Formats: sequence, structure tokens, C-alpha cells
Amino acid sequence: MEYETVLTTCPYCGCGCKYYIEVIDGVAKDVLPCKEDPISQGKLCIKGWNAVDFVYSGDRLKTPLIKENGKFREASWDEAYGLIASKFKDIKGTHGANALGLLSSAKTTNEENYLMQKFARSVIVTNNVDHCARLCHASTVAGLAAAFGSGAMTNSTPEVEEADCILITGSNTTEQHPLIGSRIFKAKENGAKIILIDPRAIQLSKFADLHLRQRPGTDVAWINGFIHVIIEEGLADEEFITTRTENFEELKELVKDYTPERVEEITGIPKEDLVKAARMYAGADSASIIYSMGITQHTTGVDNVKSCANLSMVTGNLGKPSTGVNPLRGQNNVQGACDLGALPNVFPGYQAVVNPDFREKFEKAWGMAEKIPDNIGLTVVEMMNEAHKGNLKCIYIMGENPMISDPDITHVKEALENLDFLVVQDLFVTETAALADVVLPGTSFLEKDGTFTATDRRVQRVRKAIEPIGDSRPDWKIICELAQRMGSKGFEFKSPKEIQDEIASLTPIYGGITYDRLDELGYLQWPCPNAEHAGTVFLHKDKCSRGPGHFFAVEYKPPAELPDEKYPFTLTTGRILFHFHTGTMTRRSEKLNKEVPTGYVEINPQDAEELGIKDGEKVKVSTRRGTIDIPAYVTRKVPLKTVFIPFHFNECAANMLTNPALDPIAKIPEFKVCACKIETIGE
Amino acid sequence: MEDEVRKRIAEMLDSGEVTAVIALKDVLGMTTPCVFKKGDDLSSLRLSPHYPLATLAMKMHKMDPEYKIAILCRGCDERALLEMAKRNQIDMDKLSIIGIACDEETAKDCNCSVPYPSCEDLIGEKLEELELGDAFEDYKRMSTAEKLEFWKKQFEKCNKCYGCRNICQMCFCKDCELENELWLKKGRLPPDFPVYHLIRAFHLAGKCVGCGECESACPAGIPLMTINRLLRDDMKELFDYVVGNTEEVNPLYTKEEF
Ligand code: SF4
Ligand code: SF4
Ligand code: SF4
Repeated sequence: MEYETVLTTCPYCGCGCKYYIEVIDGVAKDVLPCKEDPISQGKLCIKGWNAVDFVYSGDRLKTPLIKENGKFREASWDEAYGLIASKFKDIKGTHGANALGLLSSAKTTNEENYLMQKFARSVIVTNNVDHCARLCHASTVAGLAAAFGSGAMTNSTPEVEEADCILITGSNTTEQHPLIGSRIFKAKENGAKIILIDPRAIQLSKFADLHLRQRPGTDVAWINGFIHVIIEEGLADEEFITTRTENFEELKELVKDYTPERVEEITGIPKEDLVKAARMYAGADSASIIYSMGITQHTTGVDNVKSCANLSMVTGNLGKPSTGVNPLRGQNNVQGACDLGALPNVFPGYQAVVNPDFREKFEKAWGMAEKIPDNIGLTVVEMMNEAHKGNLKCIYIMGENPMISDPDITHVKEALENLDFLVVQDLFVTETAALADVVLPGTSFLEKDGTFTATDRRVQRVRKAIEPIGDSRPDWKIICELAQRMGSKGFEFKSPKEIQDEIASLTPIYGGITYDRLDELGYLQWPCPNAEHAGTVFLHKDKCSRGPGHFFAVEYKPPAELPDEKYPFTLTTGRILFHFHTGTMTRRSEKLNKEVPTGYVEINPQDAEELGIKDGEKVKVSTRRGTIDIPAYVTRKVPLKTVFIPFHFNECAANMLTNPALDPIAKIPEFKVCACKIETIGE
Repeated sequence: MEDEVRKRIAEMLDSGEVTAVIALKDVLGMTTPCVFKKGDDLSSLRLSPHYPLATLAMKMHKMDPEYKIAILCRGCDERALLEMAKRNQIDMDKLSIIGIACDEETAKDCNCSVPYPSCEDLIGEKLEELELGDAFEDYKRMSTAEKLEFWKKQFEKCNKCYGCRNICQMCFCKDCELENELWLKKGRLPPDFPVYHLIRAFHLAGKCVGCGECESACPAGIPLMTINRLLRDDMKELFDYVVGNTEEVNPLYTKEEF
């Protein structure tokens, strides 16, 4: 009997827990927590504990599939590559490179994201490459980069437990980032004040010193209200404002109008509570803001993020331990996918594509004959729109499932069906893969080497524990082989380690990150510019990355679609503890699926009574975009006239309903607010 | 102590007494459970932190009942193996024990009154007269209503990770009652109060070996060892039963449980 443990990083959320996989005779058996891992400290959430299950799911793809007469048949790698290469070339030849788009994946490794954007920019020669960060934190990347010069979580996960005050908004932390949630409990036990600002009553509500329940989509208003109170009461950190920031006067002028009375009118937050909360936050020695999609997924997502930045700077809570603005990134590697340039506007390390120096740098490094286009490419939602219009002809998707994850699925389906050619690389025939012309079997985190970057910029190793299932291949290998098949140079990598070396040579923030150092140190937090650099625990010490921190004076704007007579409820969507995103992995894990086998709509008991809805009864939820039938969960978690639907479940997909209205800068859709109606169907 | 253990492992493997030794070793600067075979380099051996090695022994035993294993064993691990054997989960005759004694600090941390295994060739110093004191004085002073409030607050933090059960060397029932919808609703966070935690507490009464793994695996920081210690005292007082003894089985033991 051969027994070994392999230390690797969790494939679910952005906390970045490392744990052991127990392998006996080549089969991954169980997950065993690692007591000395600084993030998990020997503790895990239910998803981590069950992370082996889906890997052996009976319906794993074992060979490439090619669609013929509407049906898939098995194919060899050689045939699949041949077909894809000729189609890509044809489409590029006929319609130009910008008629192709690529979706990379926040589930795959840094190396694979790097290769995917390299494939887009050097093989296809387009900037049309994006991934699901567009749908979760595009507004963070844009907003924080504008305010501070870097779009990432300013501080680190372990610092949370040392904060004197934690302001949590739009993050159901104990469900979505359990191992950060557990640090909030620890902070509370250490005496920290907890302020929760969230429309829903969540697990943390009972532990919060103050729970303010704003109307969905009114975040700029309450934040401006906070700043109004802080300035009025002389609680602003004048020294920080003078020495570290710019444009404060404009903000000061603007927030004059955000009196607690007016904020109460807009947000529904009682003015006394607003004042108390503002004093509590401003009065703490170290106050940390934690936020997630409740802030970002709005047509005002970038404004919301800039407002959080304003709040931290007004009180001088930046560039110090246990302070800052801390967006919690959802996916295990969404931070890394952004860092490695799987975005239409930047190369790896956020080097802008519109900057000719950077284009030249990469053209040279990649040995390209063609020029990389100087325009910003298409984003996720724009790709779907262009496909719908017939301008985009072909999409190559790695490990994403827009048929569940994107807003307005009906539109997505029409768009994907309208393509000339769709390639999907995944573990399973997902809802999206079902529409593909060619499906390529990639591998899970257990079957390959690489790195993931956790939410606090923590780069950590993913280590191969078992051989690929069937004839599936690691995604990095697939991209390399396909690029070579298309006759391109620069993809002769023999291992992810070699890819990381190329990444380090071209990406200053990852410059000092090597596999040897990761083995030795366990992790490195970027920026880590050179091999002597120990990594960066918190950002913006002494000076922001961009120089002075910039205050943006932003006015409150209402969400794109508000309830009216026809659609009287506000619909908000999100995730739950027991599942992850489109359910591709968690719904194939027996234990997780048993906990929550299908979706539901949370509705307040009073609303339920008025509509004559009983708990568990199936109801019809409709918006201007679609209708779903879904069981009702009657609960006080949601306020009056607001309903919540988790988006994981294809049989009652929340994204049939959501509004694809976009933030003008970040192009993130407004998943968190739209208008809906609820009807009984007598089931 | 490490060197003595290394010597013992080498002897057992070289003589062919056992095929494999379950122990701990250093990989990438962290301690992990491991299996040593004949000829393996033993320099990476570690003795702490504690990991549930008895579970690994049980797993291997179930895969191959004839496999001859030795296992690095603290007091709690030996109690775990003995209780497993009483429930037909493992065969003590197929198992050799490399017993190590815990030091005072570790024993006090774990609230452990028997911080050593019973084997004769124990490695390390046996701490027999350890004064634990009453670690729960504050708790015991609370009124029943205050105690209820205390546990309510604690259990409200629960993340329903099942980690306390998953890591527990004594949790090996095929169908776990924590997942039985007869008692509690699935998919709720926190899980229904107090039934989720009480099912586990009561099912571990007279079974819990006091290893502390559950509390250290709990992301919510719930003081699970307090419950375990109180139940351990009750078992002694009410039934005069001590976990890990070789003579009798737990008076609360039901044959249906696994
Ligand atoms: S908290 Fe996140 S990283 Fe940790 S085990 Fe759970 S899903 Fe995995
Ligand atoms: S209940 Fe806790 S202390 Fe007792 S045996 Fe199980 S893991 Fe160890
Ligand atoms: S380990 Fe803690 S959080 Fe997890 S189920 Fe047990 S008591 Fe709850």
C-alpha cells in the first residue's frame, strides 16, 4: 500500500486554504486539513472538506468531443486540434482576429491564465480575452486602481483578527469566505466592533454591534452619509488627508448634501444608526472595510468601490496593519486570472495594452511578427452582445459556464448559438459545453501543477496528486499543444514551473516568485518584484501605489431597474455556503448536494402571507427578461418587498431573471438589483 | 525523543515485524502524516503537532486486514485504537504500537489526565500525577439559563463544516445521524440549535478519547473540548466508565451505531 499526502490549495473560494490530499495507491481518498497552513490553521469549510468528490464524478469528460449533426461523438486529440486550428485560421482569415474571443478561467491556474491571454494576443492576435472577474470584481479592479493605484485587497487575511473595527458590507463572509468569517469571530472575541451593512439578515447579523439594512443599490448614499458625519463631527484624519491624498475638497463639498436625514430617505437606514456607525468606524484605531459582490455588482459598482476608498482615506485607515479596503475575491484564482492579464485591457501585471511600450515589450518577448492591436478588447458581456449581433464569430471558453453565470441567460444562449464556432474546455459537459462544436477535456486541480493567487495577493502552489482522469489533459498543456498546432512559437513549455519563470520575467509584481521560493516559504504576496523580496503584507504603506490617494466625489445614482407596479419586488442574487458558482463542481459532490439539492427564493413572511405563499411551495418569479418556477423559502432573512435567489441552480437559474445593465466603466452587470414579481402556481 | 523513535521504527521495519509505520514527517517545512517503509530516510520524522493517525491505521486496515502496521501513538491515539477495536473497526493483533508520552504543557493544553499510552516500552517520561485542576470553574458557576445562553452564542457561530466529525478518530459510523433529516433540516446555517451539536456530543459520550482534534478543526472557535470534558466526567460519575479501558465496553454502546 502506498500512502502519501500532497499539500495543495483549495479550488473553491478566494481564502486560499491549503490542505493535504491523502492519496493511497494513486487514488485521492480524502482531504486532511494542514495545521501549519497560515490561512486555514487546520480548519476548513464544508466545500474544502469535500473537494475530492467531484474529481471522480462518473460523467467526467475522458476524451475530446466533436459535434456532428447536433450530437457529440468522441474524437482523438489530434482530430480535435486539427479541426480547431483550421476553424480558428479560417475565421481569422475571413473576418479578422477581432471576430474571435476567448474566455479564460478563474478556476484554473495562474500559468494557464497567462497562456490563455498569450494565446489570444500572440496566436489569434486580439485583445478579446476576459473571464468571470468581469462579473464579480471588475469594479474593484477599476475603482481601487483609480483611487490607490492598485486594484487588489489592500491588507491580508490574518490581519482581520487584529482589527479594532470591521465594517462588512455586501459580503456574507461566513458563507462565502468561511475562513475569513472565522477571523471576524476571533476579532470580535478580541474586542473588535463589528458593523454590518447588508439588506439581508445573515449569520454575522447576530454578532454585529450594529446591523444597518440599506435598500439594495443605495451604497454610495450611506457611504457619503458616513463621510458627512465624520467631517461634521471632526473625526476626519486631517493629517492623513493633507499628506497622503488629493482632491479632498471636492468630496467635502459633495457630501454636505448627504445629511443623515437625506440618507435615511434614500437608503432606509435610520439616521441615528448611521451616525452611531460612522462614529464607531471613525473612532477605531484600526478599522478595516471588508466588502464583496454586494458592493461591486451594480451599475454603480465602480462608484461604490471608490466610495469605500474615500471612507478609508478620510479616516486614515490605509497603509497600516488591519485597516484598508478589502474586497474578498470569490473564486480561488480570480485574483490570479486578473494579475496574469486575462483581461481585455491589460497584459500580465496590469500593464495597459493601450501603452505602446508594453505592447512592444510583449511582442518582442513573444517573438511576434504581427502587432498586438492597440485597442481594448471585448469584455464578457460585450462578447455575448457582439455574438448576438453576428459580429463575433467564434469563442474559445476555458472552464467557464456563462449559461449559468451570466446575466439574462436567454440572451446568452441565443448569442452562443449564433456563433460559427464554439470551443469549450471543461471537466464536464456543462450547460455551456452542450452548445459547443468541440469540447476538450481539461483536468481538475488534483491532476496538475501550478499556482493560485488567493484574495490577499497570496500566491500558493497547486500540486498534482493524481494522474489525469481518462484521456483528459492539464489545461496548460492543451493551450500549448493547440498553439503549436497553429504553428506558433513560444509555447514549448515542459512544465508549469517553466511558465512561471516566463511570467516572472515579464510581470514586475510577480518578478520574484519562483516555485523554489514557494516551496520554501509556502506563499508569497505580490508585489514581489525580485528574488530577494519577501513579498508585501499590506499595500500603500507611506505612499499609495499611484502616489497620492485620490478622492472621487461621487453622487448617488439609483439602480438601473427599480420596482414598479408591474414588478413590485426587488430581486437580489448571490451564493450560499454549500455550493459554488454554477454548481459544476459542488453539485457533483454528494454531501454538498444533499445539503441543498436545488434553488429557492427567500421571501419575507409578511409578503408570503399577502401573496398566500407557504414555505416550500413552488412559485413563479418573473422579470422583464424571463420567468422561473422555484420553491419559496419563507424567512425573515430578507426584508419586506425584497427577495433573494442563489444563482447556482440551472433548473431555476437566477440569471434567467437578472438585468444585464452594465456599469459604464467596469462593464459589470447589475446582478444585485432588479425588479421582479412573484405569483403562485398552486404547486 | 525523536532519535529513540527513529531507532524503534528502523528496528521494526528491518526485522520485518511490520511492513509499514504510520508516523509524522516534515515535508516542505510542515508536519504531515506519513507511512515509513523499510529503507526510507527517517531523518524527516516529526512527533508534533498531533494528527489523527489512528484513523489512517483504520483506513489501511480496512483496505488490507493482513497488512502489518506499527503506529506512532500518544495516550489518546491508543485509547482511540482500543475503542475502535471494541467496535470491530481494527484488529489490535495486527497492530504494533510505538508509544510516546506527552509533556506537561501538551497534556495541560489538552486537559488530559492520561497523557501516555499503556505500552511497556514507552518512549518519554510518563506523567502520572498530573494535576489538571478544574478548568471549567467559571463555566460551572453559571446558572442553567446562563449556560444555555453561552452555548447558544457559541453554536450560532457554527459553519456546519462537519469538520469536528470528519477529523474525529472516533467518528466512523457509516450513516451519520448529523445528516439524518429526522433530527434537523439540511442546508441551514447555523445548523438547528441545539440538536446538531448535541447529537455529536452524546454520541461521543464514553467514546471520546480527548485528542482535541475536533476543537482544533473548528473554524468557528467553539470550545468543543469543554463539552467533551464535562461528558467524560459524567461518564465516570454516572457509569464509572473510563474511555480506553480494555475490560468493558461503553454502557451507552448500541450495536446499530455503525
Ligand atoms: S474557506 Fe474557501 S479556501 Fe477554505 S476550504 Fe472553504 S472554500 Fe476552500
Ligand atoms: S470528540 Fe474530539 S476530542 Fe473526542 S475523540 Fe473526537 S476529535 Fe478527539
Ligand atoms: S467543526 Fe465547528 S463549525 Fe464545523 S461543524 Fe463542528 S462545531 Fe460547527
